[in-house]
Amino acid sequence: MKEILNLGLRLALICGVAALLLSQVDATTREPIRQAMLRERMAAVAAVMPPFDNAPDADRVDLTDGPGERSYWRGFQGEAPVGAAFKALSGSGYSGEIELMLGVDGEGKVSGLRILRHTETPGLGAKYADPALLARLYAGRALADTDWRVKADGGDLDAVTGATVTGRALAGAIGAALTQYDADRAQVAAAPRAAVADSSAGEVAP
Amino acid sequence: MSLTGTFARGLWKENPIFRLVLGMCPTLAVSTSVENGIGMGLAATFVLICSNMLIALLRDFIPRKVRIPAYIVIIACFVTIVDLVMHAYLPALHRSLGIFIPLIVVNCIILGRAEAFASRNGVIASLADGLGMGLGFTLALLSLGTIREVLGNGSLLGITLFGVEFQPALVMILPPGAFITLGLLLALMNRLEERRAIRAGETYEPPREMDCGNCVLCRLDEEPAAKRA
Repeated sequence: MKEILNLGLRLALICGVAALLLSQVDATTREPIRQAMLRERMAAVAAVMPPFDNAPDADRVDLTDGPGERSYWRGFQGEAPVGAAFKALSGSGYSGEIELMLGVDGEGKVSGLRILRHTETPGLGAKYADPALLARLYAGRALADTDWRVKADGGDLDAVTGATVTGRALAGAIGAALTQYDADRAQVAAAPRAAVADSSAGEVAP
Repeated sequence: MSLTGTFARGLWKENPIFRLVLGMCPTLAVSTSVENGIGMGLAATFVLICSNMLIALLRDFIPRKVRIPAYIVIIACFVTIVDLVMHAYLPALHRSLGIFIPLIVVNCIILGRAEAFASRNGVIASLADGLGMGLGFTLALLSLGTIREVLGNGSLLGITLFGVEFQPALVMILPPGAFITLGLLLALMNRLEERRAIRAGETYEPPREMDCGNCVLCRLDEEPAAKRA
């Protein structure tokens, strides 16, 4: 009995100290992690949208009605809207989810895309992570003028040899996200800009 | 054994991957590229050094019967710290290594060194052991990663080496390539050791004392191997 108590107490002490230490590290790193993730997301938004001069995160529109929560980051040149960026998610990759950031211009054409996270096979599906390849496959296409399926399924899109599954997943996810954007478009455009003062300050700055 | 001896042992003579054949899961999974190999190796080295030193420091406090849970808590604690700090201050590296960092907890090199070395040696010696074993692990991942990335992707550190005519042998960065490369490197190391032994006029015996049958990790009630030997 005494031995069990001794063992338990010592183990509990080790666990307690570990928990204390981890809570401290968590408290210290929480804000920097949030900042780092925000910077990463904004870098993706900036990479996929046409040139803009506002702060897309301030002009973000969050929609909660309908199928799940959607965020649209809007880009403006002065007062004129130039496009939007939003996420597309596919659950049908070769292994695990694929998340991408998708940018469209004012006409609804894809202006750029970046893969945010994926766990596809290196050398096969993972080749899609190359921004140049993504641009070649999907940029300039719109919802209306493209059959968002790979050629193997009768659609318009090329796929990397040996990685049709990933190509199919991406095509489906992009098509679905564009369809959703099309449905949300009026609502997104109608949403008031967050802070007009901010964007005019952005114009004054060189 | 001297400190330098303790340190150098991990690099070749008891290299955790090529001699002890420990930590195969991260080795096979992460050695697809040089960058991943180095990142994983250094992160594991950091955890190994920290856990080795702390376990050496606490070796009289941790009761033998609950030592495995105690080691795991200590190792998991350091791994979580590495994970959080890397996420906060090195987001790019964290992105490419993301899913492998938590796996360090179950890397049996770390638990193995805690059990086989840190639990019965001093803090400084355990530091040397952790550093040597960690760098040995990193070097092994580096050599595996180099071979696999060059042959399987035609690149080194992400820089394309050959012209467009080069058709990379994809199998090398897929799981079978990991086994093939590892097997060939193990054979090569045995061959080198054998030739060295022949030159020195000894009979070569493959490493035996470190195989599973002689490992004390699973035998909770037994005395440490040091006393048996």
